[in-house]
Amino acid sequence: MLRHLLPTVLIALLVSGCKKDEADPPTPLPTPTPTLRVNHVVDGQPLVYDTLRYINEAGAFYSVTRVEYYLSELVLIGTGGTANDTLHGPWYVNAAGPTDFDLSRLRAGTYSGATMLLGLPPALNTTGALPNTLANINMAWPDPMGGGYHFIKFEGHFTTGGTSSGYAMHIGKNDFLPHCDLPQAFSITGSGGKLLLTFNLNEVFRTPNTYALAAGNYSMGNMGLMTQLKENCTNAFTIAYQP
Amino acid sequence: MRKFLLPGLLLTATLLASSCKRDTVDLPPISHPSGTPLDLAGPWYFPQMTIPANNPTTEEGVQLGRRLYYDPILSTNGPMAGRSCSSCHSQELGFTVPNTPANFLNVLPHVNLGWSSNFLWNGKYQGTLEDVMKFEVEEFFAVDVSVLQQDPTYPQLFQHALGSSEITQAAVGKALAQWFRSMISANSRFDQFRRYEISLTPSETNGMLLYLTEAGDCFHCHGMPLLTDNGFHNIGLDSVFTGHDQGRFLVTGNPADMGAFKAPTLRNIAQTGPYMHDGRFTTLEEVIEHYNSGVKHSASLDPIMTKPGKETGLNLTPQQKADLVAFLHTFTDPTFLTDTALASPF
Repeated sequence: MLRHLLPTVLIALLVSGCKKDEADPPTPLPTPTPTLRVNHVVDGQPLVYDTLRYINEAGAFYSVTRVEYYLSELVLIGTGGTANDTLHGPWYVNAAGPTDFDLSRLRAGTYSGATMLLGLPPALNTTGALPNTLANINMAWPDPMGGGYHFIKFEGHFTTGGTSSGYAMHIGKNDFLPHCDLPQAFSITGSGGKLLLTFNLNEVFRTPNTYALAAGNYSMGNMGLMTQLKENCTNAFTIAYQP
Repeated sequence: MRKFLLPGLLLTATLLASSCKRDTVDLPPISHPSGTPLDLAGPWYFPQMTIPANNPTTEEGVQLGRRLYYDPILSTNGPMAGRSCSSCHSQELGFTVPNTPANFLNVLPHVNLGWSSNFLWNGKYQGTLEDVMKFEVEEFFAVDVSVLQQDPTYPQLFQHALGSSEITQAAVGKALAQWFRSMISANSRFDQFRRYEISLTPSETNGMLLYLTEAGDCFHCHGMPLLTDNGFHNIGLDSVFTGHDQGRFLVTGNPADMGAFKAPTLRNIAQTGPYMHDGRFTTLEEVIEHYNSGVKHSASLDPIMTKPGKETGLNLTPQQKADLVAFLHTFTDPTFLTDTALASPF
């Protein structure tokens, strides 16, 4: 009798033990965290560091050795009944490292485009305003030069007309803060997904000023060069949404 | 026989049934060392130090690391037999030594390394202090832990500091990492100025203005307050590169890294000569003269070194150079150089 009973008990235990999970209500998929992703390209080509392969508007070949900057005050411009949505940041971006940033939220709706700052708003552009991370202290704009932070450091080497040298496109100080326009319409279809920003580095050298590196390879402290770069950076980014 | 069969089957069934509980596996708790927590925060203008969760800093851990740092027992039976870390890192010299040992590069000072993630001149080791200590313990000193294990003192110290009297190379590295994090220099005249406690002399002030503006442009690689950006730069010491002079290229193989070396901190720089990776400059005046007139061009020269009109150097006046040297002297931290808490415990 026992010989028959035991296997029955054993099977019952096994079956009931495993069926318990199947009876549980299905676990809903977690809502993906909305993300801001920044891509870096040179006229459609993915950015590759340390290679003298890019040609700017003025005809110089150039390489890229450093791209570090802040983004902030990203305003998604609502249309068709969608309200504007401002994502404040700031986000420190090093193109050589991870360029995905968690967002607290994204608001579904239709948008005609966006605006943002390449740099920091004046309230944050004062010495010590940002947390003392290693990244932030290395972006400091020295007090004797006005204080605050570099908005961008964009460096590399170039060659043109038999001249080879380095370049360092640095921008800082509130008067030279680039206000970027991103006129690409997009729709956000859920609370997750990715907001995609694409930074075309060649635009820094393109419009409205054809920037000749041979005539100005070092911008920090040079108001004329920083003005040109500020103007060019305003249309260096595009925006899209990926569910 | 049958009386054993029933409990056995029930036990088997229970075990099998429990195996279906996918989500109830208990992970072992993360081991936490015993000891007294130690807060290593620097002054308010310092960055927050990142400390690995599996090696929190304790009083006992730092003291153990300090003892190991000064104890030649660390090198017993290894290639550095008879030497300790302190053999090449003297406190009064900012934890470096003036003489470059044969077949080695200039000795980098041990200071504020808790904020560093690139180690050695060419950045061969990157990550945390625990990561670079792995190299120091396993390769550089080839620590024979059996010697430490048999010592009458160390097993108990490891027990108190790290929660186990079993001494491993990893445990030695953890203790040393804690000690290195405690080696903080933050009380130089510059720091006191930064904290609004003192004023600088006119010459020091002029030097600071050179340092922090494009005239001297020191700040890009030696920014405040750590006086290093932890990055790698070719500063134009050479235009042809062989052997050690190839710098970071020897690690990455990237031609853009040819001749690039880690920017050393300038803390206690007046005490830590000679200068550069090969100790080619004996004085700060020679260093400044390099930046002033001796920059050599190459394809990998750091872009920061290529300002228009200053292609071969800064073109500073003798007075400006003297002011810059005066400012560099404000980075000397007497507290750090003489603090008995950082001295040998023996």
